[in-house]
Amino acid sequence: MSLFKSYVLPRLIQWLVVIFVGVTITFVIPRLMPTDPVEQTLRRVSSTTMTDPRAVEDLKNALKDMYGLQGTPVQQYLNFWSRVTRGDLGPSLGSFPTPVTTILKNALPWTVGLLLTTTLLSWLLGIFLGTLAGYYRTRAWSQVLDKVLIAIYPIPYAILALVLVIVFQYYLPIFPMVGGARGQPTFSFEYIRSVFMHSFLPALSLLIIGTAFRFIMAKALATTHLSSDYVVYAETAGLPKRKIIFGYVMANTLLPQVTDLGLSIGAMFEGALITEVIFSYPGIGYQLYTAILQADFNLILGVCLFSIVGIATAALVIDLLYPLLDPRVRYQ
Amino acid sequence: MRGKLSLVMAMMVVLSMMLSACQPVQAPPQVVEKVVTQIVEKEKIVTQEVPAPAPAKKIETQIPVNVPRDQVYVIDQIFRYSVVDNFNLWVPGGPPSPTRQGLVMDSLWYLDQETGEWINSLATEKPAYNADFTEMTVKLRPGVFWSDGVEFTADDVVYTVNTLMNNPGLNWSAELKLYVKEVSNPDKYTVVFKLNESNPRFAGYFTVRYNAVYIMPKHVAEKQADLKTWTNFPPVSLGAYVAAESDPNGYWELFKLRDDWQKATPGILTGKAGPEYILSIFYGANERKAIAMARHDLDLFMDIDYEAFNAIQSSTPTARSWFKDFPWAYPNELDDRWFGCNFTIPPYDNKDVRWALTLALNIVELQTEYIGGVTRLTQMPIPATTAIMKLYHQPMEQWFEDLAIDVGNGETFKPYDTEATKKIADWAAKQGYTVPTDPDGLRERFGMGTWKYAPDVAEKLLLKNDFKKDANGKWLLPDGSSWKISMIAAPDEVDVQRLAIGAQDQWKKFGIDVTVESLERDPYYNRQNLGDFVCTSSWNPLTVNADGDLWQGLNALHSRFFTPVGESTAGHGSNDILRFKSPELDAITDQMAKLTPDDPKVVQLGQDALKLIATNMFFIDTISFKKFITMDEYYWTGWPTSENAKRQPLYWFQGGRFSLPYVEPVKQ
Repeated sequence: MSLFKSYVLPRLIQWLVVIFVGVTITFVIPRLMPTDPVEQTLRRVSSTTMTDPRAVEDLKNALKDMYGLQGTPVQQYLNFWSRVTRGDLGPSLGSFPTPVTTILKNALPWTVGLLLTTTLLSWLLGIFLGTLAGYYRTRAWSQVLDKVLIAIYPIPYAILALVLVIVFQYYLPIFPMVGGARGQPTFSFEYIRSVFMHSFLPALSLLIIGTAFRFIMAKALATTHLSSDYVVYAETAGLPKRKIIFGYVMANTLLPQVTDLGLSIGAMFEGALITEVIFSYPGIGYQLYTAILQADFNLILGVCLFSIVGIATAALVIDLLYPLLDPRVRYQ
Repeated sequence: MRGKLSLVMAMMVVLSMMLSACQPVQAPPQVVEKVVTQIVEKEKIVTQEVPAPAPAKKIETQIPVNVPRDQVYVIDQIFRYSVVDNFNLWVPGGPPSPTRQGLVMDSLWYLDQETGEWINSLATEKPAYNADFTEMTVKLRPGVFWSDGVEFTADDVVYTVNTLMNNPGLNWSAELKLYVKEVSNPDKYTVVFKLNESNPRFAGYFTVRYNAVYIMPKHVAEKQADLKTWTNFPPVSLGAYVAAESDPNGYWELFKLRDDWQKATPGILTGKAGPEYILSIFYGANERKAIAMARHDLDLFMDIDYEAFNAIQSSTPTARSWFKDFPWAYPNELDDRWFGCNFTIPPYDNKDVRWALTLALNIVELQTEYIGGVTRLTQMPIPATTAIMKLYHQPMEQWFEDLAIDVGNGETFKPYDTEATKKIADWAAKQGYTVPTDPDGLRERFGMGTWKYAPDVAEKLLLKNDFKKDANGKWLLPDGSSWKISMIAAPDEVDVQRLAIGAQDQWKKFGIDVTVESLERDPYYNRQNLGDFVCTSSWNPLTVNADGDLWQGLNALHSRFFTPVGESTAGHGSNDILRFKSPELDAITDQMAKLTPDDPKVVQLGQDALKLIATNMFFIDTISFKKFITMDEYYWTGWPTSENAKRQPLYWFQGGRFSLPYVEPVKQ
């Protein structure tokens, strides 16, 4: 009970406060932009059809009403929280009348599927290879791996992604070019295969960059631990290499890596805009980008809500996991 | 940092080598002189020849639907849909309509954007007005059926009009409420509109340029509780196609030809069916469209930049645009490019200053060096399309030749350059292109004329207005401060951005400090509409219809809709983003408002308006729109081209409604 009061409860309160403040700021900021969703719609309408300037005022008022933008900002804010507690994020203003929840439901699985897989894989690969390369830093394979990944890491992500597109969609046109899958979702082998084929290149691009980054980090961390007394003592005592590498070195370098993993997973709700655009892959990043340009207040809030909750929750989970991973925190 | 850079460069070299190694063995790489890479050198776009990518291997198609490739015509969707499986096109700004409106919707009339031809669609003849234009009678076409087998009748039209009027917020609701006193159907195929006030252009709301009032299926819509949230999915179609399948993430939509396609107006009017399936698909940015076409996974796309088009010509021998040879691109979209400055900010309220800025521009150089010579010139705020030139540019040419401006000290100057197209042809010939030399050929490729490049005259105009030059040759405003111009541009409209960079270069050379602010499309529109800019590189100054009627465009510039800076012109229904007022222009607009669009006086008044606009140099017009609308004739042929210009190729305007039936499979 005292652990809960002294350690867990303050963090839970902090989690709630972060979400509340984050969402409130996200509610306010788009409304400070000079872009107005009603004006945006009026412009789109008048650019594609004959309109009469004398009728615009009527349409403007009707749109404000339809979009729920009548009333003061405070009233809109209270309405927003009242809707959120009912699980309703309102209609998208840029894609009216589609509910924001529908847009998120369509986009989020692709983002989560892609980013969760690539984040976990690159995290595991990066740490594994980085720790090994750090421990065996004088070996030829370690140096080759080191140079290759260090060479890849500075390449701008967009360039790397474009190279994959050109090689595997143009010169060797083996991968499909658009969307997340072929046809309608079913539990068939054909559909699952198509999901794999569509996601392969975006996943590969993220995996390469993510692994390179984590490799460099893990190798640097492992190298600093090699001269530690406990490693020298373990080697002197003749403990098996596997035990030293995975039981001691990797375990001791894991704390910052866990933080990185937690925050990366939390941040995946922001999406991967560049990946989505370059590979024409569905996801939440593009939705957020479009929403910002179109002043789609409701969709911005919807995406940010997930993102804020995701990051705050990840930070909370890391905080709660720390005592389990690090005895020093537990003792404090 | 230097080491890092070397490393990246080394990697890129390796990757390039890998790419070369990946080229198909059976198709050796070609070095084609037409592939151009854009680089920026001293703030000017120049071109550099690079080896063309080798053609892609022919492979099995990877379009995302299980339909035989020779049965499906694949069209570029232009953008990714954010509203999926929703065909309620009566909701403003909601479901998108670059293709689907032509495939499943219908209205009373259409105006072909290439020929200006009036097409009776759901109506059998043009609208009949009474003497004072307060009543419009429409005769409907018998034998048209909805895709569920119900006959289309006057009931549907009356229901649509009444429903829209009673549902504020829906498209056309406010306009119909403003004008319609009563709508009735004396018989099954006749509709009578009684109007609240005289309106000779009321039929315009039912005449499709891009969109118009689409007719609702009464037997379906009347069962809906809320028309604003009704998805109209699957839609009961009044076009030749029905919705078949779609991507939940908005990348593509598949449409299937109706079994009874002869009962929809495309089939009735053309007697042809067209492809069995239409797939509209969004592949993404230009390079992705180019790759898709090289894979023969895309048959038709809207537009692409000049460099990507050249790459396609190399990689896809079966692809082409409007012209078979230079300048390739479609020149007849009804829009043009221009520069303009905010009239609320001195000195841009001064006509002499606007003329000086115009004459300090070398528009021929802009058209050639910055745009690649692939479009027509226009000196007016309307494009030099084939149809519009006959109504305005050609009849007005003598007036432009005679136009003289006062440059001070009793001196005048004739600013119109009749030799401009010849200069472009000379430039093109030097690039190795074959170009016509006869006046008709020059006009077809490059338009008619533009404003002269006369920096010496521009200088006189400025000196006349107390501008001065400093020791470095930079211009100072009359108050002694240095003259700086900030120009906004939207880079995704490639020509707008390139023209902005060109103007920046040329005005800098003239002695004005110019910066270009590149903005995303929505913030760019927003800044323009709010008047939050000094100068803009823009388009659509004056909407013109394919029949030459300028009223709608002029009306949106009428000073009764003048919008103060800080308020959005969109919210006032105005297009006067520059914030000028012209009582003379208002008077012409008011006279035009009393005439039907096909009244010969409309064009005469239009010419008067254009003379007024030119004399005052409200807009610095440069070039017409061009579109590298490109078709791959590997699987399908028959899309309109310059040799087959019977219908508009701009499928996004009317969804390709009357062009698609002529598309036929290639016999291989």
